[in-house]
Amino acid sequence: MNRKNVSYAGGTLCLWAVWGLLTLTPGKAPAQDFDFERIEQKARNFTVIIDMKLEISFGIQTSDQQERYLGAIVTEDGLVLFNGMALGENVLAAFSPFTVKTTPTKIEVTTLDGKKYDAEYLGVDRFTQIGFIKIVGNENERFTPIRFLAGKRFKVGEWLTLYMLLPEFVNPSLAADIGMVSLIVESPEFFPLTVGFSSLQMTSVLFDEDLEPVGVLGALLNPSHANTDAGGMLESFSQFGIPLLGVVVGERLEKLIADPPMKGRPDRGWLGISLQALTPEMAQFWGLDVSGGIIVNDIVSNSPAEKAGLAVGDIIYEVNGGQVAIDKDEKLPIFQRLIAELGPEASVELAVIRHTESAADTLKLFAALEKAPLAATEAPTYEIESLEFEVRDLVFADYLFHNLKPETFSGVVVAELKRGGLANVGGLRLGDIIQSIGNVPVTSIEEVSAIMESVEFEKPREVIFFVWRNNKTLFVNVKTDWD
Amino acid sequence: MYKLIVVVWSLLAATTISAGMPGGAAQEEIFHARDKVMPALVHIQPVIKNYNTGELEKRAVIGSGVIFHPDGYAVTNYHVAGKAERIICTLYDKEQVTAELVGGDPLTDIAVIKLHLEGHTGKIQVAEFGDSDSLQVGQYVLAMGSPLSLSRSVSAGVISTKDRFFSPDVRLPSGERTGRYNLWIQTDAAINPGNSGGPLVDLSGRVIGINSRATLLANNLGFAIPINIVKETVHAILTEGKVTRSWIGLHCQALQELEEYFGTNRDAGVLISSIDPGSPAEAGFLKAGDIILEVDGTPVSARFVEELPAFYNMIATHKPGTEISLTVLRDEQTYTFKITTRELGQLQGEDFECKEWGCAVKAITRQMQIENQLTDTIGVYVVGVKRASAAEDGGLRPGDVITKVNNEQLSSLGSFITLYSELTSTGTDGILLTIKRGGAVRFVFVKIDHQDKEPADE
Repeated sequence: MNRKNVSYAGGTLCLWAVWGLLTLTPGKAPAQDFDFERIEQKARNFTVIIDMKLEISFGIQTSDQQERYLGAIVTEDGLVLFNGMALGENVLAAFSPFTVKTTPTKIEVTTLDGKKYDAEYLGVDRFTQIGFIKIVGNENERFTPIRFLAGKRFKVGEWLTLYMLLPEFVNPSLAADIGMVSLIVESPEFFPLTVGFSSLQMTSVLFDEDLEPVGVLGALLNPSHANTDAGGMLESFSQFGIPLLGVVVGERLEKLIADPPMKGRPDRGWLGISLQALTPEMAQFWGLDVSGGIIVNDIVSNSPAEKAGLAVGDIIYEVNGGQVAIDKDEKLPIFQRLIAELGPEASVELAVIRHTESAADTLKLFAALEKAPLAATEAPTYEIESLEFEVRDLVFADYLFHNLKPETFSGVVVAELKRGGLANVGGLRLGDIIQSIGNVPVTSIEEVSAIMESVEFEKPREVIFFVWRNNKTLFVNVKTDWD
Repeated sequence: MYKLIVVVWSLLAATTISAGMPGGAAQEEIFHARDKVMPALVHIQPVIKNYNTGELEKRAVIGSGVIFHPDGYAVTNYHVAGKAERIICTLYDKEQVTAELVGGDPLTDIAVIKLHLEGHTGKIQVAEFGDSDSLQVGQYVLAMGSPLSLSRSVSAGVISTKDRFFSPDVRLPSGERTGRYNLWIQTDAAINPGNSGGPLVDLSGRVIGINSRATLLANNLGFAIPINIVKETVHAILTEGKVTRSWIGLHCQALQELEEYFGTNRDAGVLISSIDPGSPAEAGFLKAGDIILEVDGTPVSARFVEELPAFYNMIATHKPGTEISLTVLRDEQTYTFKITTRELGQLQGEDFECKEWGCAVKAITRQMQIENQLTDTIGVYVVGVKRASAAEDGGLRPGDVITKVNNEQLSSLGSFITLYSELTSTGTDGILLTIKRGGAVRFVFVKIDHQDKEPADE
């Protein structure tokens, strides 16, 4: 039993514990109202079990892992959604050079009637952590997808039901559970919170009392890291590691299904600012008559924000004529999502207050949004096999994290290092930013690849790297071994 | 205890056999050394100040020291007494006296205190400083002090290494980087927490080092600051109150294994690996990869890391403002650069507690500016934010730099304190702070709840 050794979705033990709880919980009265036979009939069509082989690399360690997920077919041509939390970017990935990279290497989808299909990985939505895969090799086959009900009006106290996936050795492997809508949260976005479900059931399809699929189980977002609009810095809110769960509603799911996230394809609109909310106290201090807004704290050079003429200190109070009533930082994700979802090519009209101690002007600026910058996990990499390490391009998050300016600083990042390998022994460290190889400056992995090709041809005894580490530079001598 | 006996015994045996000394001579020497230094030993209990939690916190710590001047001056570690508010010392005769801090130097981890001997009737004995340049590996030494607060303890061993190098990125508990200008004497004489600041003594009874570091979880790896470094620091503190150093902003790297790449001869040159932004070296167009061959005509070299502290010291001991001439090898050509040094200055600025807001701030020194990648020294640096305080509610975090209070631009800690005092005395309801975090500007609104305020003393 070596599978699920570092399981993110919860180890076998956890599943057992929850299962135990479920069996012990006294029957909840409203459960009688659900016709589970009919739900199961519905669920049989779209429910699949996904077996995914993952390669997980964290710096100098790489390990393979087998994961099992519950999936739902959402289009006729075989698009499947599942819990992508283990694959998605997290705060660590977006902010730190030390990235945990989880790459699916083989995906197999099994329908409940036992048919097996291969699938390819598409990507994970960073706001909901819902992952998408696509069944391949069966172009002509038509599946019966689930269609989520949009526009559902949730009520506190109403009951929802779902199926969860049990461990492999339990047969049959699906078990029903019920939970209750406990609170309708309006911000950061519309999100009916639930009680009674567990995080092991994430992304299971939720049915209401009319047996309509109204959404999937998701987690409330924590906006506390959200001080730029680059996105990817949101994580689910949790207390003692237990997330607050609720419904990712049908409208949102249908949007995602229409345009599923793709790994390595930045599909979010981006303005290029650091931001904070205009609180009522600040508005009062500056004598501004607006109920909230976005304070522009920093502007990325060459970004849409700079090109639009935004200035540090400006307050954005309208986007495309719609009011931005953001009066506390907890609501920032509303703005971040708005910009992200307008898309990379959108042109937006920003109404802005530019104020000094004595005066405040309002102006209208037009910004052409661009693609959001890549996260460290998405950055292109290049493996230097002869020296046993891997580099990646610098990304926006690196500049932010290290407080560096792209105009004056360039290089490539040491992203993976084989333990005991030549580069490791020579003294390169994870996160080092290589600025030159020999005396040739490098600014991208393409340049590294060109230099390394000639190095590998010439086979020198040593390769000297000039690297940036902890705000200082130094030379690192890596001894080669060409035999 | 058992271990110590074993060491002393085996040491004795070794002496008797190898040096051909008459039996018991080494024991006699140990007694002699003990009698010369032990009476000058001081057990030090300072109360040190800390602001990292956003408010002034005081903590009693324990250390050792040794009296070197009949007026009651004693030397100890900076990390023992350098931030002391009050100091209580226990002398060898078990009498207690108070002491005051004369000065300290975090870079060599040395502080000087003055004992208040006015009421003390016993005789004060003074320890003699030796010469740490003439030490030999294998030479017997005694460590004296208060390991784990057990005062008046002696342990014995030999000098394991006399030129141990530690990275200058190592930090003291109070946050300053330390050790850039010295090597360490390594000894296997047992050194434990509490030995800090105590003397390492040779068998002639002279202090050859100040014990300052030990490796926990290891056996008998203790480190002392060589006394010749201590003497320079102590002299500077006694004459000027502080150590003044020149700074040009260079970081260097050992040339070993890089000589071929840079085309230099063995034992020639010091490799510049990094240059501080805004430093004289940067202004003077030096760059990483340059190799300094001579300083004012004197050849220099650092093939090994152990040679770096002496090179750094050679630059640092110039009077600030001196123009130094560096002969540099760059791309196989030799150039001469004239660099005017500046004063290194304090590593950290003075602290100030903002009680009403729930935070503590520090003046920003140039070294803090470089370390924290700040663009200038304007404003005050937030060292700590108290939990559940108005400052925390407003979103202030440690590491932020406050640049403006309401509409007033800050220049220094002084201007901040003036503004803070004005605002607290006028009883304002809220203050808008403009801060810098990373590269971005942010605003923090500190809402003062006057209900919370304790009634003023009348």
